Amino acid sequence: MTLFKRKEKATGEILAGGESAIANKEVEGLSQGQIVRRRFFRHRAAVGALVVLTSLILFVMTALETKIGPIRIPGWWKWTTEDIPALRFEDCPGGTTGCPTLSLKPGAGFGFGTHPFGQDDIGRDYFALVMNGARRSLMIMFVIGAVAGFIGVVVGSLAGFYGKMVDASLMRLVDFIQTVPAIIIAAVIGKAVGKVGPLYLALFLGILGWTGLARLVRAQFLSLREMEFVDAARVAGASNIRIAFKHILPNAVGQIIVAVTLIMAGAILTETALSYLGFGVVAPDVSLGLLISQYESSFTTRPWLFWWPGLFIISIALCVNFIGDGLRDAFDPRQRRRITKKDRLQAKLHTKAGA
Amino acid sequence: MLSYISRRLGISIMILFGSSFLVYNLAAYASDPLAELRLSNDDSAQQQIAALTRQLNLDVPPPLRYFLWLRGLLGVFVGNLDLGTTRDGLSVQSELAFAIPVTIRLVLVATITALLLGLALGIISALRQYSRFDYGMTFLAFLLYSLPIFWVAVLLKEFMAIQFNNFLSEPNIPFSWMIFFSIFTGVFWSSLLGGERRRFWTVFAGAFATNFVILWAIDLTDWYLDPGLGIFLIAFLSVGIAFGITALSSGLADVKAKKAALVMAGLAIAWYYPAQWIFDNYGSYLTIFVMVALVIGTGVLVAGAFSKIDRGPIARTAILTGVLCGFLILIDRVMQSWKEYSATDAVNYRPVPTFGQRKDQLVTEDFWLNNLDIIMHLILPTLALILISLAGWIRYSRGALLEVLNQDYIRTARAKGLNERVVITRHAFRNMMLPLSSLFVGEFVGLVGGAVITERVFGWQGMGTLGIKAINTYDLNLLMGVNLLLSFLVVTGNLLADLLYSALDPRIRLRK
Amino acid sequence: MSKENILEISDFNVDFWVDGVWYPAVIDMNLGLAAGKVTAIVGESGSGKSTTALGLMSLLASNARMEGSVKVKGEEMINAKASVLRQFRGKEVAYIFQEPMTALNPLYTIGFQIVETLRSHFDMGPKEAQARALELITMVDIPNPEQSILKYPHQLSGGQRQRAMIAQALACDPALLVADEPTTALDVTVQAEILDLMRGLKDKLNSAILLITHDMGVVADMADDILVMKDGVTVEHGTSDQIFSNPKHPYTQQLLGSVPKLGSTKKRTLPYSESAKPAPVLKLSDVTIEYPKRGRQPAFTAVKNFNLEIYPGEIVGLVGESGSGKTTVGRASIGLLPVKGGSIEIVGKEIAGANSKQLSDIRQHTGIVFQDPASSLNPRLPIGESIGEPLFLAKLAKGADLARKVEELLDQVELPRSYRNRYPHELSGGQRQRVGIARALALTPDLLIADEPTSALDVSVQARFLELLQELQGKLNFACLFISHDLAVVDILCHRIAVMQDGLLVEAGDRDLILKNPKNDYTKRLISAVPVPDPKEQKIRREARLALKK
Repeated sequence: MTLFKRKEKATGEILAGGESAIANKEVEGLSQGQIVRRRFFRHRAAVGALVVLTSLILFVMTALETKIGPIRIPGWWKWTTEDIPALRFEDCPGGTTGCPTLSLKPGAGFGFGTHPFGQDDIGRDYFALVMNGARRSLMIMFVIGAVAGFIGVVVGSLAGFYGKMVDASLMRLVDFIQTVPAIIIAAVIGKAVGKVGPLYLALFLGILGWTGLARLVRAQFLSLREMEFVDAARVAGASNIRIAFKHILPNAVGQIIVAVTLIMAGAILTETALSYLGFGVVAPDVSLGLLISQYESSFTTRPWLFWWPGLFIISIALCVNFIGDGLRDAFDPRQRRRITKKDRLQAKLHTKAGA
Repeated sequence: MLSYISRRLGISIMILFGSSFLVYNLAAYASDPLAELRLSNDDSAQQQIAALTRQLNLDVPPPLRYFLWLRGLLGVFVGNLDLGTTRDGLSVQSELAFAIPVTIRLVLVATITALLLGLALGIISALRQYSRFDYGMTFLAFLLYSLPIFWVAVLLKEFMAIQFNNFLSEPNIPFSWMIFFSIFTGVFWSSLLGGERRRFWTVFAGAFATNFVILWAIDLTDWYLDPGLGIFLIAFLSVGIAFGITALSSGLADVKAKKAALVMAGLAIAWYYPAQWIFDNYGSYLTIFVMVALVIGTGVLVAGAFSKIDRGPIARTAILTGVLCGFLILIDRVMQSWKEYSATDAVNYRPVPTFGQRKDQLVTEDFWLNNLDIIMHLILPTLALILISLAGWIRYSRGALLEVLNQDYIRTARAKGLNERVVITRHAFRNMMLPLSSLFVGEFVGLVGGAVITERVFGWQGMGTLGIKAINTYDLNLLMGVNLLLSFLVVTGNLLADLLYSALDPRIRLRK
Repeated sequence: MSKENILEISDFNVDFWVDGVWYPAVIDMNLGLAAGKVTAIVGESGSGKSTTALGLMSLLASNARMEGSVKVKGEEMINAKASVLRQFRGKEVAYIFQEPMTALNPLYTIGFQIVETLRSHFDMGPKEAQARALELITMVDIPNPEQSILKYPHQLSGGQRQRAMIAQALACDPALLVADEPTTALDVTVQAEILDLMRGLKDKLNSAILLITHDMGVVADMADDILVMKDGVTVEHGTSDQIFSNPKHPYTQQLLGSVPKLGSTKKRTLPYSESAKPAPVLKLSDVTIEYPKRGRQPAFTAVKNFNLEIYPGEIVGLVGESGSGKTTVGRASIGLLPVKGGSIEIVGKEIAGANSKQLSDIRQHTGIVFQDPASSLNPRLPIGESIGEPLFLAKLAKGADLARKVEELLDQVELPRSYRNRYPHELSGGQRQRVGIARALALTPDLLIADEPTSALDVSVQARFLELLQELQGKLNFACLFISHDLAVVDILCHRIAVMQDGLLVEAGDRDLILKNPKNDYTKRLISAVPVPDPKEQKIRREARLALKK
């Protein structure tokens, strides 16, 4: 059976040769990594998202004081989440207090001001709170991505590489975990471990989030395992471990990276949603979802307490999603560049000039 | 085929069993229902602990207690289902029985709408790959992907309910808004229909003008205080539907189908006044059901009258047209209740509700008022859910169609001289549904998760609220009830997806 | 050109838009084709022949542009309105594609797909169309027409699917039939039947056929006129006799020169004497190989009681059609598949039941070249690393020493040393197969297994590859099991030939014995089905074959 399939593929290659030979002109003389990089940088939205996300992370991470064991790195922002300055009421619309001082209008008021995102009901600086929340949410996002990515790759590769019983039992496990309503498990666990600390919450959410990736990695392994270069490596005397890590995994890495980005984009939404419901990060710790939940009712009077954390969640998730899209395009071998009207016009000019 | 289904069913039951065992023990060990009482110094606390321990069998260790619970569940086979009691001593079944229809209503409407809308947008997006519309849809999908549902729900509540109610108390569409909306509509339609620059601007101008005139007319006549379509608008729309459905379903070149559709539209218009009388006097679900059945029957008859051969496609066109035109009349009738609804004491001229699934104060026998009430309460939570799940469908259907359009058999279909409509609707669409059918379940389950949050924001008393309550009060039996239902949904959904897949794909169906 | 031509192509150009530049795929083509005639467009991959076929009726992807004129029955097709194109597609110009499995919609019955074609062009009721479809299916000789009309593509065999495709194409009695590699995916015996069918139908319906193919044998069998393409340019255009007997253009001469021709090589002597045979390098005795039961798929015995011995210095060809089990034998011989019964010995060491340590020792005596140049090299590794891997893993060389050895191997297969640092996607198919040989020969094996190494290559590349293989074999004197479906290639290369069918060894013996004087019926059929790239000889062979059939 496999024989027949191979023949099809091989002859297909000859015939597609016409077009693929031309398409290959695009990648002549480039290594695999260079091709990926080149394709990624052609995706303008993804590059934009990468720039925005990187600056956002730097901005958020340096704003407040960071403690790593005994080391303390001071932040550049003047308030901390514990400070309770007096509520500001100058210039605030409709008799409210603690309104934002951030002004993007050029002129005298331009700049951050004392409380760029305003103050909460007791006067705490909201910028500090949002920075702290964003920091938590980012941390949780990366931890979930790492944990789910690790488990997913390990389980998927084992299942795909060994096949048969290993595959069957691991895939039943995946089915099983996918059947358990994730929101309930997450809420039960969140309720129990949220109090212990956001890191544990992230770890547990990561443990729940790997199933989709495992399926994907398994499928990749199953198809790559049938490739002739794997047989060639086996004949050359390569061990199973060498085949898995040197020959199969590097070829699956593109898809894995893309899937992990998408897991991360979903993770930040899951975390904020759980925190919103009260099953995630709990006070006095701060997370973006928790902030929204706490100040939901004051939307009519102090909308900024609602807008800022939401804006940060959306920007982070949107950036990660776009980066994922860019990576998918970059790793997809079928990716072809489209022809725009402008291109056609230019090509016509070229042919005319040449003639 | 039968053995395939039974095998799947067997696996599903095993998984259900395993997952309920896991959740039971996880929840039982992760939470202590007596924690609060233990901290209390009150004398009655000891008694309460004892009472609860007896009521919930807390003295039995969780893995064993699970089997007590399972025994109650298995009672379903002897007609004696017992899911235990909540902490407050209420029966879990009755709690669930109250909550299920609420959540189902919410999720089902949202799923179907999101699916249809997402499919349509995704398909158009794929057919116009790399167009302005395609880029717009891609961006929209990513934006929707990145929106936290609770945030969207709160926004909807603020702007679509509170602000809109305020607007209705002094209705006046500002001129700037009219312009803004008209420009938006213009851009939407012109990028949807595509084409060269000249066509773009023609479509834009047309859509802009139409929209502007509509808004202007609405504003002048204060339509939103007493809305309705009226026979003329219905007649106009019905003819439009007849042409639209014919174009999609059998192509405008098919004269017989076109005639059949037009006849159905004509019948609908002729039935407008009699329908009003029937609706006023016999408004009930049964009436609507009977009328739908009548429309379908008429469709078959009309198709038969026009053609001896190919009755299938013509009947399909006629029935779709008839059902949609009937739906217009139904919408019209519901709209007619708006004025009365707004004026009731319970509503008090703030018709868009922000809380709950019904207005308890609204006591009326009127079929239409009750339904309008349900619809009004459904709109915002459903909208929130649609926004969340739309993104997935747009992306999936776009991707699936693009994949299918690259296949050899599409090229064959074109080489055979079939027109694009047939190539897309017959050859591409069915193949594209194959990968999508396995995604239904995941999306549906995701939506149930979203429903938990939406229910909380909009104060619905559904499964989500029950679940949250169960977790917050450490109510294990209640939690298990909710969990059981959700897992059951997933498992049935998976089974349905498998069936759908094998129904669509002969390679699976005919495998021995 | 004459008026009655059904197809008139003049100054036809197709370009593809890739990354900011228009790449020409077809350049200034001119062609006229009359009813009842067959014109073949031949060329190697990338020559633009398939592009031409699809471009005629504007079936190319959106990044193609077409210029010039294509007239069908006097009507212009380039930049024609969509409605005009639709009218002509299927009705006047019908297509037969290469791979009927993917070219037919898997979700509809073949009957439905034929009916659909009929009803989109004629005002025809469903019953009438059904009757006509049945007639067509009977005409293309699909067994049990009444049942077959209700079958889905996956329920038919490859040959039957192609027949269904032909029935669909003939539904509207088209004036022109465009057959784009119609038999490339099929086995030779099936190919011969399909070609017979097409020839018969052409005479019956008086259609013109535009045949796109890379197989000179098929061309010799079918074509009246031939148009040779290279890199989009028409290098030669003439009658079949002219091109075959007196090719003008050097490219045509070279192309015809590289086509292997059955029965054209001189007598070859075995490298050992029949009486004093040395110890065999590979000895398969009574080998049975089974693909185990997978899920609900029952176990499948791919090879049954197979016996074969290969002696030092000889090349043995293993021939068979798809599904015959020849690749299975090759893979089992190197320990890639478990053996269910019997024994496989390589240089006297048993493979069946060997543990991984023993296996890797035995494998140091063997090398394998795979079929698919696209997947036989790890895309993430530079060529040098792929070639050096066996040496590295056998701990025979390291560092600078390894680099030197890799360079030697590259020299051996006539590739520049600088290719050491290149990645597989930068190489052509032929170059990749050379890398495959270099890797297989890294450990200077006693036995080389070559599994259809040339089936994905163009003929001219194949010719060079075969020469190289012969040269290396002469120099290094390894034994070789050469697996192939192509008898002509086996004829060029091998000392002995073994023929397989349905997992059984049908016949084995000296090359000349098998090819000139086969005993077995299947072998006879196989040999007679191979089209020979010479119209006159092929005509004789065809008639002989048809006589044999009767």
